[in-house]
Amino acid sequence: MTFRSGAADAPAFNQNLGAYLFLAPALLILFLSLLLPAAATIGMSFTDISFLRPTNFVGLDNYLRLLSDGRFQQAVFNTSYYTLGVTLPTMVLGLLAAVALNRRFPFRVAFRTIFYLPVLTSLIAAAVVWVYIYEPYSGPMNGLLVSLGLPPQPWLQSPNLAMTALIIMAVWRDFGTAMIIYLAGLQDIPEEIYEAARLDGAGKFAILRRITVPMLSSVTFYLMIILIVQSFQVFGAIYVMTGGGPLGSTETIVFQMYQTAFGYTEFGYAAAMSTVLFFVILLFSIVGTKIMRKGEA
Amino acid sequence: MAELELSGVSKVYGAFNALRDVSLQIADGEFAVFVGPSGCGKSTLLRLIAGLDPVSGGRIAIGGNDMTARQAGQRPVAMVFQNYALYPHMSVFENIAFPLQMERRTKDDIKREVSRAAEIVQLSTRLQDRPAKLSGGQRQRVAIARAIVRKPGIFLMDEPLSNLDAALRMEMRAELTQLHRRLGSTMVYVTHDQLEAMTMADRIVVLNGGRVEQVGAPMELYHNPANLFVAGFIGSPPMNFAAARVDAVEGHAARLTVEGLGSFAVSYDGKEVSAGDAVTIGIRPEAMLPGAGEAGHLSFRMTPETVERLGLHTIVHAPVGAKTFTALFNGDPRMARGSALDVSVPLAQLHLFDRNGAGRSIRDIQ
Repeated sequence: MTFRSGAADAPAFNQNLGAYLFLAPALLILFLSLLLPAAATIGMSFTDISFLRPTNFVGLDNYLRLLSDGRFQQAVFNTSYYTLGVTLPTMVLGLLAAVALNRRFPFRVAFRTIFYLPVLTSLIAAAVVWVYIYEPYSGPMNGLLVSLGLPPQPWLQSPNLAMTALIIMAVWRDFGTAMIIYLAGLQDIPEEIYEAARLDGAGKFAILRRITVPMLSSVTFYLMIILIVQSFQVFGAIYVMTGGGPLGSTETIVFQMYQTAFGYTEFGYAAAMSTVLFFVILLFSIVGTKIMRKGEA
Repeated sequence: MAELELSGVSKVYGAFNALRDVSLQIADGEFAVFVGPSGCGKSTLLRLIAGLDPVSGGRIAIGGNDMTARQAGQRPVAMVFQNYALYPHMSVFENIAFPLQMERRTKDDIKREVSRAAEIVQLSTRLQDRPAKLSGGQRQRVAIARAIVRKPGIFLMDEPLSNLDAALRMEMRAELTQLHRRLGSTMVYVTHDQLEAMTMADRIVVLNGGRVEQVGAPMELYHNPANLFVAGFIGSPPMNFAAARVDAVEGHAARLTVEGLGSFAVSYDGKEVSAGDAVTIGIRPEAMLPGAGEAGHLSFRMTPETVERLGLHTIVHAPVGAKTFTALFNGDPRMARGSALDVSVPLAQLHLFDRNGAGRSIRDIQ
């Protein structure tokens, strides 16, 4: 293949043709694995497809059903609760860990690695371990509570506690990501700014509040969007640890979508749920990107 | 306002001695400039004075009070950084107000002080803008205003003009000198640019390899550099050097032989030269005059390799012995590349340095 640098008689098309050829394999994979299924899902959401009986076009019926479906509304509430519960503590802990590990001290790299390790573990394996940790009679979590003189708790068995237990595990898993992203952000703040602040009489807390946190605002927005989008899609840990129970207390949108499709074979209805989730996530991504761009400008 | 006293200050990074036994006194209201090549320790010394880094040895006193153990924010100093170090997420007003907010001053007080400082640096109309919207010169002014509001005993400036273009640098140089006059405060200014040092300083401190080479008023350093380093560093274009041999010493005169310049006698007032010694002579490019000289001049011939005409001056590079000499002539005299040229230097303006390692000056130029 030859590359042309856009001579007068060989317009941009020749140059672009090369680019399109290079992009074609990736675009094809993207189309087949992402765009086509997404379009198919949106299409399915207007039908009553179940693979067990003839498929009919039902218009907006699935969406209207969602509006009055109490179980779906519970899943939306659960998902929002989980998202809020995971996002805020993950960001705060990630920021504190990053600020602490951005200083020079012995074993700094070891601490960074330890905090980041949960991110690298397999979700299913981690979830299985956490089931053991939350085990009501011999699990380490209750062992810790008892050793502190507190009563043991039915972590995954109580409708009031199961979601909190899932949130704790998600924060443990995700705050390493937040830490790494914040560390990268911290390293972008020039040392001279901190020195100027020290000379201006700012103490450590004032520097954190007035300099570090505001200067990390675009990183924080980015992280928030990532975590929200990720939390909206939670499935694996719930599948392994609670199965959506007890009493539907940990049933989130994606889990309910899975059950509706593969448990009750209502693929059309599940597709409508999926489409709603897709547009909510898209909305968050667009708003997040816009805010970040505005911040950069 | 305050005087600064450094006694035996040193700074060691691992095995590297960044500063060795620096002792200095800078008077109240003085404009002192630390000058030297990259890595000479000038910025390190400024950081020690600011309290940004701890000293490895010695004592730092400001206004008669020992500051050696005090934190940066507790010293009566304000610093202007090379890269401005403005807080990018704050407006100009908030940047200038920041040190006052840290002092927990009242809102009215802060507003008044910020307005006053902004007026001094002519930024009153830009108070609501973010630093990103300002030009380099305006950002530097914000940094200066932020220093002014602290009413520090000493202003510390770390190469504050090095990020500006040449024209703006010249303008800001004059502004900083005026600011110093207006505020009457002590200023310690770091630069690698000897031109900045010469034009702004009351007193220049020349640093090299972590040591103070010489301290003095700009013209004192220019006329009587203490050693080869200072002689080569102060003055632009730099001084020409050539190796010489002392043939004989008679009373207050030494007869020297210099390759390419021949043999001649020069008076000297040191006692450190005797026949057979190796010395270095120094000739400032601007001390060289076109045409054969009269008595009391060293005259020689050279053939220019390059002739640079600047209008006000003409700079000529020409081989003399094993060296290439640079001559700076006034105006636009008639001379051309490749045609031999008679040049003379008043013997009184010849510098002489010993060559026993230190390169000390052994002749005072009156």
